[in-house]
Amino acid sequence: MRSNPSDYEMTALPSLHSTVSLLAREPGVWLPIAGGTDVMVQYAAGKLPARKLVSIWNLPELRRIDVTASEIQIGAGCTYTDLRRHAVVGHEFPLLRSAAGWTGGIANQNRGTIGGNIVNASPAADSLPALLVYEAELILISARGERRISYANFHTGYKKTLLAPDELIQTVCLPRRFLEYYSHTRKVGTRKAQAISKVAIAALGRITDGVIEDVRIAVGSVAPVPLRLKDTEQALNGRAVDATLLLLARRTVAAEIRPIDDIRSTVRYRAAVTGNLVVEFLNRLNLAQAGAERSEANDVLAQWNRLPADEAINAVLPCCGSRAWAEGMVARRPLADEAELLTASNETWRKVSPSDWMEAFRSHPRIGEKKPVMGSSAPGQSVEWSSQEQRDVTDADAAAKTALAEANREYERRFNRIFIVCATSKSAVEILEILRRRLKNGVETELHEAAEQQRQITELRLRKWLQG
Amino acid sequence: MNDSGPGPAKVEISFAVNGETKTVRSYPMERLLDVLRRDLGLTGAKEGCGEGECGSCAVLMDGMLVNSCLVPVLQAEASSIVTIEGLSDGETLHILQQAFIDCGGAQCGICSPGMILAASHLLNQNADPTVEEIREGLAGNLCRCTGYSQIVEAVAEAARRRTSA
Repeated sequence: MRSNPSDYEMTALPSLHSTVSLLAREPGVWLPIAGGTDVMVQYAAGKLPARKLVSIWNLPELRRIDVTASEIQIGAGCTYTDLRRHAVVGHEFPLLRSAAGWTGGIANQNRGTIGGNIVNASPAADSLPALLVYEAELILISARGERRISYANFHTGYKKTLLAPDELIQTVCLPRRFLEYYSHTRKVGTRKAQAISKVAIAALGRITDGVIEDVRIAVGSVAPVPLRLKDTEQALNGRAVDATLLLLARRTVAAEIRPIDDIRSTVRYRAAVTGNLVVEFLNRLNLAQAGAERSEANDVLAQWNRLPADEAINAVLPCCGSRAWAEGMVARRPLADEAELLTASNETWRKVSPSDWMEAFRSHPRIGEKKPVMGSSAPGQSVEWSSQEQRDVTDADAAAKTALAEANREYERRFNRIFIVCATSKSAVEILEILRRRLKNGVETELHEAAEQQRQITELRLRKWLQG
Repeated sequence: MNDSGPGPAKVEISFAVNGETKTVRSYPMERLLDVLRRDLGLTGAKEGCGEGECGSCAVLMDGMLVNSCLVPVLQAEASSIVTIEGLSDGETLHILQQAFIDCGGAQCGICSPGMILAASHLLNQNADPTVEEIREGLAGNLCRCTGYSQIVEAVAEAARRRTSA
């Protein structure tokens, strides 16, 4: 049943000072509302118990981010969009940046606030595990004054917090000492995006000579509150990542979490997946050491260096559809920069067999078409890149397109495969000329010419891929 | 400004809608969506889910995409709102509207106003988005006809037309 707006009183005061004065006069009566992404949902469902609301949306004192030498101070009224756009958050607090980017769609990121996420106190909240591992502190404000507390103590039970009825969160402080840590986060929900999590993890770690120096692991949706896995961390620190340790990690995680059955998931599923997520983190942390020992100029490359082999293969396949090439690339990791990457690609491409070349050719659509030819399952990124590369062809007039389609068919009859050309910034007419010339090639010459074109396409795509 | 008498009262709230200043008398917790549709006769923004999940009520508030079903109208005070009605210039369709028509991006039409405003919000920040970026920009907008491919294509087409114009 929808709420009736005439039952609700609401006010907006010009300053933080006047707002906390109001809260002090009638503690617990006025419900603060910022971007409304939680409160208005309860209101719509007729489940909002408060009848008096005070708007804190856009209060200037709550919507600022200050960076000092030792910490970043994020106003509680900052939106997820504010966080995503802030350079220091992006560079030094990637776990928070990622969480902000997967909290709802853009419209909700424009309105939802970090303070609201904390006070709403959902165990499934996306940004809270990140705040736990970054050891956030909160500055709470009331007419009585300010107090600074550790965020780790803030949630006292399901939807229960330390916030007094006359208090607001003013600032979320994150210490700037985690830049050197390897960070890992993953959210498991019903869908890849736009879904509340079944289990989520945010983790930081440092490892030297295969021995864990320090790990911090927090999980969401597996306890009444967002949970830092302190026992597990303690069991892991000082140990080498091996099969025994991974087993131990699973056991301590299982003992530490308190998942429930609910509409989104089950105890069994959550327990199993939480264990998997922690093990995945530890494996990547271990792999990260190899990559971290070399200077890595590029983020995409740095992450790719650390991926498990099968994931790393899938990550580069859109650049060139030959599996042998992708496996060869992965075998050459870690790669330090673009130059190393391109050299590795060219050398690998020369070494693979003509049947591997054919496999790569099949992952492309015909020039002038959008989908790859039958019998290929090109990744979505490859299809997208093809359409960008063929942009100038797509814009051609009907006559040119028809001529191109005819020449394509002739090429396929003669060479028994699709025509490969590096189409970037070539018009339909130019491509038609090239096609007609290459129709006169001998079989062997044309195979190598096609392979050279694929090499150029791969190079362009690897460059795009590095740009993220 | 308050009506006399006890309890919650209507208040006067002023904001710009599609460039024109409007003043409404409203309960402060009225949803911006209802004020736009009922009081101002702007029925382009649609109510889908009523809880911020579907994006069919999306409008621009001070240039930022918001779900108007989640905005109490008091928070719109002194802001500048753009609805789908304000996107086109007179009789000429906005480049996004035309691209939606040309690419078959408008099916039953319920999601189109929100989709187009979300796309306009995206293109204002990123003139040449990749398909992945378009998908992310529209992720909070659901199409009940499930015609997402044409919608994504329409946004890409609008971006091409805009940069080549």
